[in-house]
Amino acid sequence: MAEPLVHITNFRMDFGDKTVVCDLSFDVNAGETFGFLGSNGSGKTTTLRALLGIYRPTGGVLHIDGKVFEPRDGARLGYLPEERGLYKKEPVLEVMEYFGRLKGLSRADAVSWSRTYLDRVGLADKAATRLDKLSGGQQQKIQLGVTIMNTPELLILDEPTQGFDPVNRRLLMDLIDEQKRDGATVIMVTHQMDEVERLCDRVILLKDGVAAAYGTVEEVQDTFGATTIRVDCSREVPASELYDVVSPDSNSVILAPRPGADAAEILRGLVTSGVGVRSFTTERTSLEEIFIRVYGEQHELAGV
Amino acid sequence: MAQHNLRTVIDFEFRRVVTKRRFWVAALAAPLAIALLFAVIFLSNQTTDQTSQAQKNAQLSFTYTDASGLVTDAVAAEFGGTKASNAAQAILDVKAGAVQAYFAFPQNPTTQPVHVYGADSGVFGNGKYSAVARQILVTGAQQKIGSPTLSAVAQGNIAITEEIYKDGRLSSGLNGVIPPLLFLVIFYLSIIMLGNQMLNSTLEEKENRVTEMILTTMNPTTLIVGKVVSLFLVGLVQMSAFAVPVVVGYVFVRQNLNLPNLDLSHLSLDPQAMIVGFLLLVGGFLLFTGTLVAIGAVVPTVKEAGAFFAPMVIMIFIPFYVVSLIVSDPHAVIVEVMTYFPYTAPVTAMLRNGLGTLSLLESSIVLVELFGLGFLALRVAVRLFRYGSISYSSKLSLRTALHRTGSDRG
Repeated sequence: MAEPLVHITNFRMDFGDKTVVCDLSFDVNAGETFGFLGSNGSGKTTTLRALLGIYRPTGGVLHIDGKVFEPRDGARLGYLPEERGLYKKEPVLEVMEYFGRLKGLSRADAVSWSRTYLDRVGLADKAATRLDKLSGGQQQKIQLGVTIMNTPELLILDEPTQGFDPVNRRLLMDLIDEQKRDGATVIMVTHQMDEVERLCDRVILLKDGVAAAYGTVEEVQDTFGATTIRVDCSREVPASELYDVVSPDSNSVILAPRPGADAAEILRGLVTSGVGVRSFTTERTSLEEIFIRVYGEQHELAGV
Repeated sequence: MAQHNLRTVIDFEFRRVVTKRRFWVAALAAPLAIALLFAVIFLSNQTTDQTSQAQKNAQLSFTYTDASGLVTDAVAAEFGGTKASNAAQAILDVKAGAVQAYFAFPQNPTTQPVHVYGADSGVFGNGKYSAVARQILVTGAQQKIGSPTLSAVAQGNIAITEEIYKDGRLSSGLNGVIPPLLFLVIFYLSIIMLGNQMLNSTLEEKENRVTEMILTTMNPTTLIVGKVVSLFLVGLVQMSAFAVPVVVGYVFVRQNLNLPNLDLSHLSLDPQAMIVGFLLLVGGFLLFTGTLVAIGAVVPTVKEAGAFFAPMVIMIFIPFYVVSLIVSDPHAVIVEVMTYFPYTAPVTAMLRNGLGTLSLLESSIVLVELFGLGFLALRVAVRLFRYGSISYSSKLSLRTALHRTGSDRG
């Protein structure tokens, strides 16, 4: 089996007396899109900063491609940090050219790439405009452009849709999709669970600096959200030790299987009871519901 | 890759400063003011000279009486004068407009005034009477001496060459002091003109939240070194912009500006003093740059950074308060302290080096200290930038930053 592109083992980060991340371990495989989930302050950004050498970890191993990340290695990395910003007093094209050259492009290639990108995102006429004269959304597009210059092998996006309207969010997702198709490995921190379900192959949920769940989206759904069953029938569903009736209705009922109960066994029971089953669908709990379930208690306690 | 990035940083930092209109406005404001001043002086002197010459050589219709015996009829006639037989009548003739002026030369013109009576020719035109009266007396005296050489000597127009010996060897005197002290001038200009930019150089990344993008794209040492080099290049441009009008003014219109005529051909370049002076300049620049960049990495805003600039500037001016002691007693305790205290060392040592009172051993110690502390300050600046810049809006705890030892990239 191929070595993971990102390998984190027993990562711990303390700031003074406060432990922000504790004993965190996970891998990100080459070519996959990885969702890094958690509430605010759960340690996601800290983990990314430690992975990228911005913070020095208190303990553990954080490797990219088998070693501690060093920018001088010339690794093709695209990082969109949570704290966004570029040289605001400088013209758009000059800033993009600067970062392009720092990422290993020649001046001509950096300018050419930048002009193509600006044209694509509808900012071709802003090439000579100072960044601080652009709107917040336009600045975000420039920042994203700088992030994906030189076709990164590893793309780390910390809340990429933050500040984007729905149209630009679609554009952003398209750009991320393109990077994926070009073979990029994507690590994405986001609170948009629909995006995670659509884009991510695997996820990790961080709570108070500790991994609360880790695996494929389906595995996490199976771990946290018991599968629910939607039944359309002609008569009232009888009580059973195999399930709880979550949402009783004359025609459509949602059943929550009890631990150990099997969907096929429940279906047999319903058919036998003669309720007139018209349809029988198993549904996984959405990531958003799981997120709320995992962090809801914490937020309630915090009075949020 | 590191060299490519270093060139990229220098190019970006240099270009974005020198392509700004406000940079040129600031850089050219002082030289333009100087050029304007030169122009005013030039025009003023030119006009004054022309007026003076015209007045000296003005042909007047005047009368005179001479009790000194210095003014001959021939000299007076050259200027259009005739001898008056009666002083009171001569004054009346002036009042009546019959003649333009009457000059009464006293017996001893060095102790008694020459009385000049003239018809009004306007505020500026009236000056010609005194000018002509003075020129008549000077011409008469020169004729009396009868020798142009004696006249020149009497006026102090003499050339002197000196040969001063020190320790049995010919001392170059002031001609040997000036060249190494030029490094001191460059040091002052660098710190005063670039100090604020040094202080703010890394603040921009912090205030604009660019740090994370930068730290994941290149080594922070590359960024800091690139910024320092570009600052130095910007300083050269600024100094050139400042120096060009001065040099042009000196070379081409020195006479008209009444500038002292320095004979630069006699300047003496002592190799040891020049090398030590240059190294003191580089070491001092390194130490101050490293310190200012480090301060910039700790504080969160330009405003807070500004508070640290004044003390740094004061450090380079302190030695001037004891400059007379540095000249007269270079081994006084206070001078020795200032020679070795890092932030007063560059100026004190450069002064002593120029004056020839800094021994080779002393200069070696100061140089080791400046370069050692300069590199240390830059290392600390890189470390503080790594940890200080990420603390975007808060002041960094030095203890926290410096405590993070280990395999830092910087």
